[in-house]
Amino acid sequence: MDKNVPGEEIIVVDNVFKTFPGGVCALSDFSIRVRRKEVLVVMGPSGSGKSTFLRCLNGLEEVDSGSIRIDGIALDEDKRNRLEIRKEVGMVFQSFNLFPHLTVLENLNLAQILVRKKTRKEAMEFSVALLNKVGIPEKANIFPNHLSGGQQQRVAIARALAMMPKVMLFDEATSALDPEMTGEVLAVMKQLAREGMTMVVVTHEMGFAREVSDRMVFMEGGRIIEEGPTEQFFTTPKEERTRLFLSQVL
Amino acid sequence: MKVASIKAGRYSKRSPRADVGAFLLVIAVLTWITGTGTAKLGYNWQWYRVPQYILNHEDGRWLAGPLIDGLMVTFEITGASLVLAFSFGLISALCRLSDSYLARMVARVYLELIRNTPLLVQLFFIYFVMAPIFDLSRFASAVLALSLFEGAYASEIFRAGIVSIHKGQWEAAHSLGLSAFDTYMRIILPQAIRRILPPLTSQAISLVKDSALVSTIAVYDLTMRGREIISETFLAFEIWFTIAAIYLLVTVSLSILVSLMERRLGETG
Repeated sequence: MDKNVPGEEIIVVDNVFKTFPGGVCALSDFSIRVRRKEVLVVMGPSGSGKSTFLRCLNGLEEVDSGSIRIDGIALDEDKRNRLEIRKEVGMVFQSFNLFPHLTVLENLNLAQILVRKKTRKEAMEFSVALLNKVGIPEKANIFPNHLSGGQQQRVAIARALAMMPKVMLFDEATSALDPEMTGEVLAVMKQLAREGMTMVVVTHEMGFAREVSDRMVFMEGGRIIEEGPTEQFFTTPKEERTRLFLSQVL
Repeated sequence: MKVASIKAGRYSKRSPRADVGAFLLVIAVLTWITGTGTAKLGYNWQWYRVPQYILNHEDGRWLAGPLIDGLMVTFEITGASLVLAFSFGLISALCRLSDSYLARMVARVYLELIRNTPLLVQLFFIYFVMAPIFDLSRFASAVLALSLFEGAYASEIFRAGIVSIHKGQWEAAHSLGLSAFDTYMRIILPQAIRRILPPLTSQAISLVKDSALVSTIAVYDLTMRGREIISETFLAFEIWFTIAAIYLLVTVSLSILVSLMERRLGETG
């Protein structure tokens, strides 16, 4: 399918409020739409609520009010809905969070077998294909602690992809990596974007954002300060605050 | 793993001769203290009478003496209590970590009640008060009392182990759609149990020793057999020392077994 043709809205967030215990306001009347196959990059200073936004999308954080729908399923009290959304939304963390007591292959197989109810053989085949895709087929039987950070993060991406999610969330996926490893992880993310994966990416990588994203969001204080097509966002930002931020990071 | 290699490095730099020398010196001092102590006691040692209570040779066959019979009962009680204690411990740890207020309260009350009263009183309470109601045997009362007691301590160990697992592990499991049950069984507990193996071993060793208390409700374990022999023969010191040595043998074997297991687990993690 042509990537320029926008798909239907797959993520629909309306008027979400989220305050952490202690009164820190993480999201304030936050609304956004993401279309299928779109790559949305979220930027903002730390504490702006961008990670909280991502974590709300798969139910890792509870919203105080407002609504979130993923591919038509409401993230509400209904446990089946929540489980469905957790299955359909893959997440990649800053700290990888691989399961250290399982080999790379077992990390990939686990949820396929337990959640997707695949047979061991089916899971294994898909896992091997995914490891090929992220470029480390030779690490299949190794424990995660013996891998470099970049390799671990690529395994983490493969593990999320093993669930065949409709949406992938990246929460500062390269922030814990040195520049060389950052490159190898970003390459995998770029490839995913090219293949038409719907992605919401929180990152500080300006180059990646500019090259890969379709749309940019700039957040501060739990609100969207500016939102727009990537090229316009970088070349002619409307808001003074965005200009200031960009001038500091570029 | 890192710790082990640092340790190995430190020891390898020292000559083993110094360690062996120090060990022999300690043994010599201990022997001397025991020797002078017992000599001053003016006790008539009759060690030669002890072996018959361990093993008998009759008609060309070896038969287990009363102490070995008692040891078997101790094994049965400890084995059953160990399984039950760890189950109670795990269940109450999960209750304490659950979202349910009721579950948390029940676990808390169990813990405080058991940890703050003497085991001997609990044993008597179960044997004299509960057993007649529920028609429990002496053996069952003993196992129940021991496992409730050790379970309360195991509970805190399990809880500490579970809490020590990084939040990211839960979040990764959550984002993959794993159920709470699968998350515990496949992700959290396998990692937690590796970490808590040393304190769980101490708990198992305590259980072996605490099982001696069941002799007070006339369960014929190792200690009870010993007391019986002493009342017949007045070989108090010989038999008590023998019993202590047998307990020591069991607990040390247990420690060695677990450290071997730990080493094997360490190779994978």
